[in-house]
Amino acid sequence: MSATVSVDTPAPAPSRFSYWIPVALVLGLVLGVAIGFLVPHGESLPADDSAEAGFARDMTTHHTQAVEMGLIAYAQASDPEVRTMGVDIALNQQGQIGMMQAWLREWDLQPTGNQPAMAWMPDGAGAVINGLMPGMATPEEMKKLRETTGIEGDRLFLQMMIKHHLGGVHMAQEVAEVSKDKEVVEAAQLTINSQQREMTDMKTLQEKLGAAS
Amino acid sequence: MSTPGPERVPSTVKVGKTTGQGKPPSGGSGAGKPGGSRPTGKGGKGGKGRKPVTPVKVSGGRNWGPIAVAGLVVVVAVGIIGWGVFASVKSDKDKAVPWEERAAAITGLVNYRETNPDLVKGSQHKSGVLKYEQSPPVAGEHNPSWENCNGVVYTEPIPNEHAVHSLEHGTVWIAYRPDLPADQVATLAAKVEGKEKAMMSPFPGLTNAVSLQAWGYQLKVDSVDDPRIDEFVKALRVNASIEGPTALCDRGVSVTGSTPQG
Repeated sequence: MSATVSVDTPAPAPSRFSYWIPVALVLGLVLGVAIGFLVPHGESLPADDSAEAGFARDMTTHHTQAVEMGLIAYAQASDPEVRTMGVDIALNQQGQIGMMQAWLREWDLQPTGNQPAMAWMPDGAGAVINGLMPGMATPEEMKKLRETTGIEGDRLFLQMMIKHHLGGVHMAQEVAEVSKDKEVVEAAQLTINSQQREMTDMKTLQEKLGAAS
Repeated sequence: MSTPGPERVPSTVKVGKTTGQGKPPSGGSGAGKPGGSRPTGKGGKGGKGRKPVTPVKVSGGRNWGPIAVAGLVVVVAVGIIGWGVFASVKSDKDKAVPWEERAAAITGLVNYRETNPDLVKGSQHKSGVLKYEQSPPVAGEHNPSWENCNGVVYTEPIPNEHAVHSLEHGTVWIAYRPDLPADQVATLAAKVEGKEKAMMSPFPGLTNAVSLQAWGYQLKVDSVDDPRIDEFVKALRVNASIEGPTALCDRGVSVTGSTPQG
């Protein structure tokens, strides 16, 4: 047994490390707090009242009306290009609704929450008129769109959808600005891109068909 | 490796270790022999008969001191990180109370999903006029067409057979007594306009001022200013859909009167 390690001189040991212990502890605390601050901020899921959740919910409502407008055009537009435009917008936005609803599920949130419409946007509440978010058509306008056929219906669709897109792009720009969620920001950017391109195409169609009376 | 300075050799208390491992330390004598036990490099050579050099002192403690401190630091750091993650996740959870719980907290709410599970099964399409146990109806068989329900304010009664289909898609249906004054109707309309999966209509024969329906849920109140109306809408609109949040509310029918259109 070479247990000679025995009790030779225990005295120097503590004195040598005694000052290291508090220093290391403080260092560890600082490190821990620093990491602790980084981790939740980077990884935590958007909360019920977050801009991300508000965007997902409100954009679902906003998109839902565009889907209906697009399907009206698909069902009854007289110009084939307008019909194609209608179904393209409808299916694209319906797909995005599914994506946004999947986000909410992933975030452990429900499709609707306690926040009023547009509360997530800086000046959002004031942008809601009669319950309608920017760019949305009134029930009367929707009724008129359903009842107007022929080229006049095509013109009305283009006018209403361009207005609708302007509102949608505005909302997407807002969330892209305030959100740090990579997936949300990317999706918002895609929305901005596709809706701006569609607006260009719809304006070209307006030139072809003439503006709504 | 095989030739440590003579001064250091002694500090290599590992001799003790080697022995502890059960291998005869004698093997160490073969200076550079590769076959020796791992610590051979150092201990092998000096370990032999060097007992006399006993400045072993600190070396034993030196190994454990930093390890203990580092271990403590790690434990503290992990604790802090863990607490941070837990706290952030927990606070998120706190904010998103499940809709079922929010609904259950509404005084006077009747939950037919609990009392009548058969009634709230979905996909019971049936054409023509149907009879409902509840008035206004809250679930059950319904016509294949749903009543359009994206923020629609109906000023005339709508057929139950279509309205129930809308409920199945997650709609909150606000039914009101037909003789309510216009300003009260306007108060209700403000709760519907612009909201998907929400509709309202007068309901002949209603004894309360307002009756709210979602699939399997009902709440009757006597004032359009009753705060439970908003609670009902917030808790159940879309959330109560048994076909998920993407069930359609447009492309249906906008029939008024009491006769369904199939």
